[in-house]
Amino acid sequence: MKRKKIILYVLLSVLVIGGAVGIYIYKEYNRAHKDTAGLKPDFTVAANDLLKEFENNEQASNKKYWDKVLSVEGMVKDVTRDDRGFYSVILGDTSSLSSVRCSIDSIHGNEAASVKRGHIVSVKGICSGYNADDMLGSDIILVRSVIGQKK
Amino acid sequence: MKNHLLLATVLMLVATSSFGQKFFTKSGKIDFDATSPASPEKIEGVNRTATCVVDTKTGAIQFAVLMKGFAFERALMEEHFNENYVESHKFPKAEFKGSIINNETINYAKDGTYSVTVKGKLTIHGETKEVETPGKLTVQGGKINANASFSILLSDYKVSIPGLVADKVSKTAKLIISCSLEPLKS
Repeated sequence: MKRKKIILYVLLSVLVIGGAVGIYIYKEYNRAHKDTAGLKPDFTVAANDLLKEFENNEQASNKKYWDKVLSVEGMVKDVTRDDRGFYSVILGDTSSLSSVRCSIDSIHGNEAASVKRGHIVSVKGICSGYNADDMLGSDIILVRSVIGQKK
Repeated sequence: MKNHLLLATVLMLVATSSFGQKFFTKSGKIDFDATSPASPEKIEGVNRTATCVVDTKTGAIQFAVLMKGFAFERALMEEHFNENYVESHKFPKAEFKGSIINNETINYAKDGTYSVTVKGKLTIHGETKEVETPGKLTVQGGKINANASFSILLSDYKVSIPGLVADKVSKTAKLIISCSLEPLKS
C-alpha cells in the first residue's frame, strides 16, 4: 500500500515537472521580440557625440554600446521608406557624411511617417554596430527602433 | 605660380570626375535562408542595412553588413543566430570585396538588364572564402538595381550547428541580395 502511494507521488511529480518544462519550451519557442518602446535605454546620447566616440575608438565603443538599448537624439537628415514599407530615420549633421541610421520597427512604422527632415528627434533602438567608410561616411546602425519624443 | 596651382586643381578635378561613377546604397537588402527540408519551419532572417558600392569604371564591388542587423521572426531564433552560430559579438561584420568580371559588357549609360558574374572574397564569422556567383544588374534612369542569389556552405565559415538540431538546419545558407544603388555625388 505504502509502495503504491510512493509510485503515485513520483509519477505525479514527473508529470508536473514534464508539463512545466513543456510549457516553458513552448513559450520560449514562441517568444516574440520585445517591443523597444517598452525598454529602458542603457544609454542616452546625442547622435554627434556617439559618432565621435565610435570614430575615436571603434573597438571600445562597440564593447560599450553593442546590443545595448540606446536613446539617440539628433537632427533628422533623412527619412526613407523602402518598397516593402520599412522606414529608416537617419540622424546626424548634414555637413557630415556620417550618420546614425535607425531601422524603424515595422509595428512603429506609422510613427516614423510623420518625422520630417530637419526635426530634432530622439530615437530608441538596439545598437547593431558601426560601419566605418571613408568614402560614404561611417554609420552607426540601430535596429528595431522606435521614435521617442519630437522636439 | 598661382595660375599653375589653379590649373593643377582644375586638372585634378577633371581627372577625378572622369574616373567613372560610383554607385552606392546604405539600405541594401540581404535575405538569409538556412531552411532545410527537415526544418519544422522557415529559418529566415533579413537585413535591410547593407552597404554596397559599385565602381562602374573598374567593376569593383563591395558589401558590408552588420550581423546583428539580421531580423528573424522568432526572438529565440535571432538569439541563436547571433550567439551560437555567427557569434556576432565576436564577429560583428560580414564583408564582400570583389569585382564584376564581365564589367566591360555592361553599358551603364543604357537602360537594360545585364547578366553579370561577380567574383571575390566573402568574410563571415571571421573566415574568408572565395566566392563566385551570377547576378543581374538593371540600369534604369541613372540608377542601378543589383540582384544576386547564391548559397554558401556554413562549414566553410566555421559556423557549427549543434548536433541536436543538425538535421533541422540546412548545411548551406542561401543569400539573396537586392540593392538599389544611387550615383555617388562627390
